[in-house]
Amino acid sequence: MENAAYVGLSRQMTLRRELDVVANNIANADTNGFKVEQLLVGSEVGERARNAFVRPGVSFVLDNGVGRDFSAGALSQTGRSLDFAIEGDGAFFKVQDGNGEAYTRDGAFTLDPTGRLTTKQGQAVLGEAGEIVLDTTLGEISVGADGTITQDDQVVGRLAVVRFESLGALEKGGDGLYRNASNAAATEAPEAQIRQGMLEGSNVNPILEITNLIEIQRAYESVTRMIENTNDLSRRSVERLGRVS
Amino acid sequence: MRALRTAASGMAAQQLNVEVISNNIANMNTVGYKRQRAEFQDLLYQNVERMGAQSSTQGTVVPTGIQIGAGVKAGAVYRVTEQGTPSNTGGMYDMAIDGRGYFQILMPSGETAFTRAGNFAINGEGQLVTDDGYAVQPNITIPQDAIDVQISKSGQVQVFTQGSTTPAVVGQLELATFFNDAGLEAIGDNLLLETAASGAANVGTPGEVGFGEILHKFTESSNVDAVSEISALIIAQRAYEMNSKVITTADQMLSVASQVKS
Repeated sequence: MENAAYVGLSRQMTLRRELDVVANNIANADTNGFKVEQLLVGSEVGERARNAFVRPGVSFVLDNGVGRDFSAGALSQTGRSLDFAIEGDGAFFKVQDGNGEAYTRDGAFTLDPTGRLTTKQGQAVLGEAGEIVLDTTLGEISVGADGTITQDDQVVGRLAVVRFESLGALEKGGDGLYRNASNAAATEAPEAQIRQGMLEGSNVNPILEITNLIEIQRAYESVTRMIENTNDLSRRSVERLGRVS
Repeated sequence: MRALRTAASGMAAQQLNVEVISNNIANMNTVGYKRQRAEFQDLLYQNVERMGAQSSTQGTVVPTGIQIGAGVKAGAVYRVTEQGTPSNTGGMYDMAIDGRGYFQILMPSGETAFTRAGNFAINGEGQLVTDDGYAVQPNITIPQDAIDVQISKSGQVQVFTQGSTTPAVVGQLELATFFNDAGLEAIGDNLLLETAASGAANVGTPGEVGFGEILHKFTESSNVDAVSEISALIIAQRAYEMNSKVITTADQMLSVASQVKS
């Protein structure tokens, strides 16, 4: 009897978590390089009580994981020479900070006082031969599609662009960074193309997210109603049975 | 409920975005103004279930894990140091920089400030000064009997006087460049100050490698593009509205939950 309420509760809990994920998507609708996420839910078969041969077991709802859509966001022109976008899904810039290597799709870089190419948070952007240091007494830099950086016709480095066998192994670290949570090392991504003076927006589809929002709310309401009805049922049965005896 | 706070962070971020955009639009006609852009980053993630964790004694691992994000924050507000369009003003002491570099200005406090706004004038002593009367460095004094001033692309200031056919050189303008232009601190009045992030000023003659050239009788317009600012404003407003929808939804769900016990 109580199972209906517990099944409803399991759905309520996943719906709340789904709302958290959708809220994060919408909050980051304007974040460069952000990848949209979705909570994956599945059914979890509960233990059967007595009468196991007669009735099927009860299935609860359980969140299995968060799926990320790594498709590219829209590219927009910024006109800044230190803005880069990667054309090609699933490829990342490589950066380094105190916690080791991290990966990002947000290519809005800057220079520190020593001329080192860094992210907004000051993490060094890695090239093929380690950190990239520019001589800013020379002119503007220009970066080719393969990541080669030239300054006044001299090649000064090459941006490293990497990809992963399994994108699911990446863990989000905030600040637009991903960290490698698996043992599989990143490999070079020669097919990815770098676009200078452009940035990749988030791939959040606002219409889809608002629709998700409505769906979550309605589902939550109907599950809550179901729990109410179950409560009602048990209250009435206790009342009536009490009257007979 | 986390969704409420997440959406609130989204609304705060969009509000900052609108503030930056409104400052750009307000300064659309400010000489030498460089437009700014707000950049956002996602906040920390809570690991509900870590990816790569063991999911059974058979050595199977969780493939994706569950990470719930906590919203968004402002990562940086950048100055986009793209060249503004030089506009022909005809002013005798107007100068625009075509390329990299800043004019150096001596502040009353003794500090040196930097500017791209070259709408200069002369004061009572004939000294080249800004709108606010702060002297341009190095000092340039125009003699009283000057009838015309010519400034070359390399920043040489030449003066023609009554009765003389050859111009007299009265000064040489210098420009300062920085490792990291975006690291300069804006202090208003079109002026910027050197910081640890910008690096030390590198002073040189206009026209040298890495330095811009001087365009006499021009000023540099702001690099604000009205159309892109207005479309950015529309995007910011819609994003703000969507975040408020999340708050409404989370609130209604909470109210539904609290009505179960009636």
